[in-house]
Amino acid sequence: MPAVFTVDPRSGVPLYLQLIEQITRAVALGSLAPGEQLPTVKALALDLTINPNTVARVYRELERDGVIETSPGRGSFVRANGTVGEARRAVADIALAALEAAIRDAKSLGLERADVEELFARSIARWYPTEENA
Amino acid sequence: MTAAISLHALTKRYRAFTAVDDVTLDIEPGSICGLLGPNGAGKTTTFKCLLGFTQPTSGTVAVGGKPIGAETFETLAYVPERAILWDHLTVGEHLAVYRRLYRTYDDTRAREILAMFSLDPKKSAKKLSKGMRSALGLTLAFSIRPRVLILDEPSSGLDPLHQRYVLDLMIDAAANEATILFSSHNVGQVERAADRVAILNKGKLIVNQTIDELKTGEKIIEAVFAEAPPHLNGLADDPRILRIDQVGTTLRAVTRGDSDEIAQRIFALRPKSIRTIDLNLEDIFLNAVAGDQR
Repeated sequence: MPAVFTVDPRSGVPLYLQLIEQITRAVALGSLAPGEQLPTVKALALDLTINPNTVARVYRELERDGVIETSPGRGSFVRANGTVGEARRAVADIALAALEAAIRDAKSLGLERADVEELFARSIARWYPTEENA
Repeated sequence: MTAAISLHALTKRYRAFTAVDDVTLDIEPGSICGLLGPNGAGKTTTFKCLLGFTQPTSGTVAVGGKPIGAETFETLAYVPERAILWDHLTVGEHLAVYRRLYRTYDDTRAREILAMFSLDPKKSAKKLSKGMRSALGLTLAFSIRPRVLILDEPSSGLDPLHQRYVLDLMIDAAANEATILFSSHNVGQVERAADRVAILNKGKLIVNQTIDELKTGEKIIEAVFAEAPPHLNGLADDPRILRIDQVGTTLRAVTRGDSDEIAQRIFALRPKSIRTIDLNLEDIFLNAVAGDQR
């Protein structure tokens, strides 16, 4: 398995959400390629030392979201068609949740809308440099 | 689906002392349920009732949908906190006894587990340390490939490496559809291995949920105010707030349910800052027990 997953059971974020996020990310980034086989539920549960039902739930939800497909007796695979589209959409959801948390924090710290917009502009300029300021 | 392990309104009284108080718990097949609770909460008594070692005062127990009987023990393994061994036998002789006692005994698996725990088959049981006695007890339990496992503090006395092996054994068994109920003081182990957590306190079951539900449901909202504690405006009566603490100008509310709505309510009190904190299982456990003491 080229993609390596790690989970933090001590986190307040449920394990299944941590794992869904990581697998989705790996698919979107291509470290898990379309058609690539995922480890079995048992193998991944043992590898990460986490409950097998948790891994089974992750696979069920990823299948429902169209990121992977499971064929009985053969295993689970990264979906060959439309995979990247689905995974990109899922990644956008993850990024949106992170941005919303940041904005909620800024608001709860008493920042005004204009302050937040300025901070975002600064952060965007840093991470997405254009040619002039690169 | 018939629950693999089922306790219904289980109560056990010793004279005036109620050790287990109206406990109802269903564990689905293939699930691992971690039982947490302070010392004396009733964990071991619950196991004894479940196994038929003691007669419940009232309530019922069932394994695989049936009351406890001789046949229950053909597919059930129980490892008490202090493993019961034959002190005059060697480790290898213990395996030989199990080979004769259990149809489902798997010698290959037994040898694998022995090697994992670095247990020498030639060693006499009475020369084993406390941790190694537990390891042998676990080896025997898992080697019969039971459908149901009841483990009382399965990692007590084991070093961290061997504790990890115990988790591997449980995960492997559950992946092969065994159902496990285990008690532990190690919240981190429950957080990894279990999908369901049950918390006992003073004989009562105060939490019985999947870990995912618990973590999704419970949050702490922490608000810092400019000065003196604010007037709470009936906030403490909101059923979604499990407890509320105030230290100086800081307000901490443990919430269950829609934490965003509670945050909005607290926001209306005009704090200087407010944040929502995710809880891990240890926080949830401590909050549940502390909240129950009041």
